[in-house]
Formats: sequence, C-alpha cells, structure tokens
Amino acid sequence: MKRELELADIQGIVINGYARGGFPKARHLFLHVADPLAGRRFITQIFSSVTTSVRWSQDPPADGAGVASGSATARPKVTLNVGFTLYGLHALGVPVNTLRLMPTEFIEGMAARSKLLGDVGDSAPDRWDRIWQENEGDRAVHIWITLNAQMQADGSPVPELEQKTAWLRELCAESKGGVTILSGHAPAGGDYQEASAVLARGADGQMRATPNEHFCFHDGIGNPVFEGQLKGKEEQSDVIGGGKLLPDGSWRPLATGEFLLGYADEAQEVPPAPAPVEFSRNCTFMVYRKLHENVASFRSYIDKAAALYQAHCGIPSRDEARETIMAKMVGRWSNGVPLMVAPTFQEAQEFLERYKKAEKGADKAAYAALLRRFNDFKYRDDPDGIRCPMTSHVRRTNTRDMLDPESDPKKRTGSSLNDRRRILRRGLPYGEAPPGDPSVRDDGDHGIIFIAFCASLFRQFEFVQQQWIQYGLDFNAGNDTCPVSGQHGPDAKFVIPVDPESGQAPFICSGIPQFVTTRGGAYFFVPSITALRMIAMGVIDPT
Amino acid sequence: MPNIDGGHYFLTALLPIETTPFVASDGVSRLPVQMVREALFRMPTAKQSEETKDSKDNSPFASNLRTHFARLVVIDDCVDNGRNPENALAAALKDHNPLAAQPVDQLNAPYLLFSADFDADPGGLNSYLEELYATVGDELRKPFRHCVGFDEVKDPKSFRRYVKRCQIETTMPFNDYWIDDPKLPSLSIMAVLAPIVLAALAALGSAVAWLSGCGGWPWGWIALAATAATLLLILGAYRVVLWLGSRPFPAAPHSDLKSILKALYLQPRFLRFAIDMQGKDDAAIHAAFRSFVDEYQPDKVDSPTQSPGVISS
Repeated sequence: MKRELELADIQGIVINGYARGGFPKARHLFLHVADPLAGRRFITQIFSSVTTSVRWSQDPPADGAGVASGSATARPKVTLNVGFTLYGLHALGVPVNTLRLMPTEFIEGMAARSKLLGDVGDSAPDRWDRIWQENEGDRAVHIWITLNAQMQADGSPVPELEQKTAWLRELCAESKGGVTILSGHAPAGGDYQEASAVLARGADGQMRATPNEHFCFHDGIGNPVFEGQLKGKEEQSDVIGGGKLLPDGSWRPLATGEFLLGYADEAQEVPPAPAPVEFSRNCTFMVYRKLHENVASFRSYIDKAAALYQAHCGIPSRDEARETIMAKMVGRWSNGVPLMVAPTFQEAQEFLERYKKAEKGADKAAYAALLRRFNDFKYRDDPDGIRCPMTSHVRRTNTRDMLDPESDPKKRTGSSLNDRRRILRRGLPYGEAPPGDPSVRDDGDHGIIFIAFCASLFRQFEFVQQQWIQYGLDFNAGNDTCPVSGQHGPDAKFVIPVDPESGQAPFICSGIPQFVTTRGGAYFFVPSITALRMIAMGVIDPT
Repeated sequence: MPNIDGGHYFLTALLPIETTPFVASDGVSRLPVQMVREALFRMPTAKQSEETKDSKDNSPFASNLRTHFARLVVIDDCVDNGRNPENALAAALKDHNPLAAQPVDQLNAPYLLFSADFDADPGGLNSYLEELYATVGDELRKPFRHCVGFDEVKDPKSFRRYVKRCQIETTMPFNDYWIDDPKLPSLSIMAVLAPIVLAALAALGSAVAWLSGCGGWPWGWIALAATAATLLLILGAYRVVLWLGSRPFPAAPHSDLKSILKALYLQPRFLRFAIDMQGKDDAAIHAAFRSFVDEYQPDKVDSPTQSPGVISS
C-alpha cells in the first residue's frame, strides 16, 4: 500500500518550489556554533518558525484530495528552512555513532571535491567568496538558514524579511558568541547572500517575478516528480516529463527514496542512513552553490558566433541565428519551449503564439495541453541530436530515455539509466544584469544561487556534475563539457549536428569562454522536523 | 585461442613472489612482497591523467610501440567467500553440523599479475617479451626480481621463457576497435543439422523395419550402426561449432598501436581544420586542405604522430 508523505515532518523547501510559489525573494545565512549548548538553544528558538511542507490554507486544493480542515496553517510572508554541515552537527553535539554513517562526500564537503566537480581555474575554492575561503576553524560554516519572502509591488521583499533577519541577529547576539552569523559574501561582505527572481515591470506598472536567469533563459522547468509529492490530477499531469519513463513509454513518479532518506529508492532498497532511523527518516541532502554568470562574455560570444553561424548556414536574420545558437546550447528556446517540441525558430515562434492565445482564451484544456508540452518529450526519435544536440544543457543534465541501450521495442528500458541521477532544483538568481544593458560586465554581481536536493549527493548531484556537465563520453562527445555551465578549457567547443541527408555541414562553436564560475558552496544535511527537535534537545541515541 | 583476439595478444601471467624475508639494504628484514609493492609504487605510470601528464618520467611500457595496455598488480591471496551455502532443512535432514569448520583455501604465495594487451604482429608473444626486456628490462627487473626463480633471467630470451612459464590462458579478452560489425563466416544451421537428421531418420526407419520383421537386410545391425552414427555426428557438430567459435575475431582495420597513435594525432588537428574552414569558400578550403595533408601526412603512419604514453600531442 502507499502512504501519503509526512508533509508536516519534511522541510517545506524540499517539496515546494518557493521561487515559483510566490516567494521570489530569498536570503541565505550561514552560522557558526562555538558552544553546543548555545547552539541547541538557538535551534530550539527557531524550531517553531521552520516551514514545513504542509499545504497552506489559501493554497488551491490539490484535486479534492484537499487539506483536512484544522490541519492547515496560513501562508506565511516569509518561510524559514535550515540545514547543517557535518561539522555543524558535530558542534551541536550529534553523537559520532550517528555521524559515522554519513556519506563520504558530505563528510569531505564541497571544496574538497573541487576537482571531481570541475571547480578548477576561476572556479577553484581559493577564488571563492571570503566566507567560503575562511570555512574552517572558528569560521567554519555550521548552519545554513534560508528565508524566502513574498514580494511587494515595487519589487522589494515584504518588510517581514528584514524583521526575521533582525530576529536571527538578535538570537545570535543573545548567545554571547555561542552562535554567530558569518559574513563575507561578495561583493559587500555582508552577513547574508541575497537571491531574487529576475524582475520585469508589468503593464500595470507593478514588478513581477520572471522565471529567467541572467543569460535570459527560462530556468527551472524540468524538475523531477516523485511518489507522494503530488496528488490526483496534479500528479497525473506533472509526472509527464517529470517522472520516469517506463519501457512502454508511460510516465510514473520516481521512487521517494531518491529524494528523502528512509524510503525505498529506484534500486528498490532503503539505502543505509545515519542511525537511529527516526533521526534520518524524512531528511535529505542539499547542494548550495553560488554560480557567477559572466554575462558580458556570454552575450558577446553569442553575437560573434551568431555572425559566423548566419553566414555558414545561410540563416535569414541575425536575431534568428542568435536565438538558434542559444537554443541549441540549452536544448530549449529562451522562452522555455523545448527543441524537441519546436526544432526550428519558426516553429518555436508559432508555438509561442498559440500558447499566448490559449493563455488568454477560455479553453482551459487546450491551454493545459500546451503547457504540458514544455516538459512532455523524449529523445528516442532524435538519436543523433539533430533536433536537440546531445550535448545541450537540458539533454545532458536530464537524459530522459536517451541512454536506453536497447533499440528493440520489446527490450526497452525507458529512462532507467537516468532515474538514479535526478535532483530537485530550488535555486534563484542573484544580482542584476538587465537584458540589452551595455553596461553589464562580467565582474558584476550576478548569477544563480543553485540549490538542489537529493538522497545521495555522490550518486545524483556529483554524478551529473562530473560525468554529464564536465564530460561528454555518454553523449559520444569526448571531453566536450556543457556549453553553458561546464568548465571551458582553452579551446572549448560545442557541435550543432545537422541531418547528414540535408547536405549541410554541422556547425562547431569553438573558443567558448567561461560562462559560469563557482563562487562558493557547501553540502548540507537538511533534517526532518523530528530530527531537528532531536538535535535541539540533544537526545539522539544511535544505539 | 582466446589469448589472441581482434589482432591483439592478451597476456595474463601470474608470477609467484618469494615468501622468505631477507635483510634489505637499510638493514631491516623485509618481505619480498613489500619490495614488489614499493617497486610498483615507484614505477612511473603513463602521462595520461591530470595528475601525471606533466610528470618527468613516463611508464616503461610507453617506450614500446606495441603495448596498448599493461597492468601489474599484487594478488596477496584468494578471498574466502565464507561457508558453502546449504538449505537449512536439507542440512538438518543430512545431519550436517553447521558448527563444523569448512576448509578455508589460500594461495601458496602472493602473486604478481602481469597482464598486457599488445599488437600480436609481428612475432606474437615471443618477440614482444624479448623486445620488452631488451628495451626496458632494467626497469621491469625492479618489481620482477622478487619473483620465484627470476634469478634465472639474464637476457631477453630467458625473460621470455620465464614469463611464458607463468602464463595462464586469458579467458575473456576485450578490445573495442571495431566501428562496424565485421563480416564473420556464419555456419548454416541446415548444414549442421541435415546429416544428423538423416542419420537419425535412417536409425528410426531401420529400427521400424527390424521390429516389423522385414527381411532382406540385417535391419537390427543397421539400426544400431545408424544410431551410433547419429551420436557421432552430434558430437562432431558440437566440436565443430565450438572450434569455429573459439577462432580469434579478425583484427579491426587500423587497430594496431601505431595507427591508433596516428589517429589520435590527426583527430584534434582535423577538428581544428574543420573549425577554421567554417564560412570559407571552396577554393580556400581546397588550398588549406592541401597544406593540411602536406603538414600532417595522414597516409604516413610512422610520422608525424603522437608519442605513446601521453594524453595528447
């Protein structure tokens, strides 16, 4: 039998995408615990403010499954979530017998894994923001707290965000050095890292959150859907493109154990986790990465490559050449329409027109059907990457059915080689780099705060990062890295394949500069509410 | 013979390591296996990884133009898999005592595994081992000299004899240089089965004739002979199929080390050429390709080319 997820025991940021759910403003705070007692007192003080995954009373009911009356809380103005590094858990007095069952990559931490992750050159840990360079001894990052806030009409966060930040500062001050908020976030060295959706002014003059990042791509579409996360019609709809592909071509939610500890995963087993069981159940691991975007380099490179591409392939307009190169690099047009759905510029324009018309129209079913197409696609019909290059960002980070070794329809394995490599992304951009603004430079303060959740950092996040972003062997592309987010060597290249029957030559983008560099990051253990209480009370018995 | 497959020779040799401790140059008693490990640790690996690509020394095997891969590993012992599993009910019925110890098997000594994948031509294993010793014998002696009986090895010929004495059959060779499926002779099922079926029918027919008392011929003896022929044909067909299956896979075109090094040399240069030619007109591409061919000489395998044991040239 299937039980519902224990939403009241799981931290809200794991299950709910706050950025899309009306909280486009965020702050990330990192704290150090000098005294275990003071640390546990601090956790006790914030305990009741930690946001769980329970649906809020104003939320639209999920397909009648609804919220039992009396169990729902009101939608907060600001959410609060918390995670710990290994040394943080140790500083708070979590027993060694519990910590010894933590996975190696979490114990080592992100900086120690830099070579594996491709954080070299400008992304190397010795180039990170000061808070991350100083991450040891009495400045070691122990606790991560994130505040996600609603936005006001002028684009600023609700005042409750500053109030909550001030409250956390007060609690730390009361602890008399027992708990401190670490500073050192570039550029100003402040005591929190800001993040915000990219904003655009609507027709009514009000600021609205957009789903874009600073390279102007629609971000965060293909998130995984897992068992227990959604209900009824919502699950039936979102599982298409979000779940796993079965051999018969149908979609199913991924196993819960891929994203939460204490449940069976896609290998049909409950993997080992820190003891005792009640400590690790409903917990998960988190990746925090500050990814700087070299916006000026990106824009000027695309302009340069588009000129050559236009001449090479006889494309009518520069704009089309620019949009096509960007789409081929990412696998989606900048508005999010997948290349697998609309492989040419004209088709993408037509699709968008139909979509905009349906958005305003009365036919809700037609609109929902178009909306679904943003994620309802497979790669089986494009084995050579002629529509969507094998090495494009979305195709290499979520390979769907591409790696299925079986071509015989009776033996197909669906997305089985992809199902253990999925991550839940919950990030937001930071800083500003307005499109079309010629004053935007590489070294401005703009990028993405990348946040991802998964049950195994090693098997999921690190695998995707090492094998699929920083390497190309699975895509028959040698050591070509991701054209957008990969580490670009001295002569990085990206191949845009064409149909050999067409008589055209493929186009090779070469000399790609570094577009994204890492500016800091860490791995965190994100406890369940039960585990958080046990940490706060100091009552973990691993025997 | 699986030692040779796809034009490559797959050598597997297990060299027993001495077990008697001896006093080493630092005056301390050491085990030979400790010295083998230390020698292997000090032997440079190829400059083919991020860690070693800029190092001063290269692997001794890189000075040989036939070696694709070579591996030296110390095997301390076989791993005990625990007790033989047995159904608990069956064990109780047979009165087997689960507390009685079962033997735990061990190797008689630690072994040095020497495995190599090299071009079979020219001269196969014999010439390879002699070539190897003649070029890098001094470096190979450092780990090998602690193996039982290695003091007999004085020259390439005695090295060849020694390794061949320690050779075991490679039962699962693998290389992956075929781009398309090779054309392999295929055995027709009809050709194999037809004589068996005919002989079986003859046996059946004559048996029926014998049982129904037909005269004229000694049907009983004929039935017996046809049955024996059927069995012999089945055995023969089995042998033929196995023999055909055990023949080595043909060598893939251009799968010898020199050709592969040349391909590795040409590949990035041709890619660079293709990138540089984007947007150029036909005449410019034609002229540029001529100078590409002149400079890199794709039809000459020996030079210019990439040296063995490096990640790129």
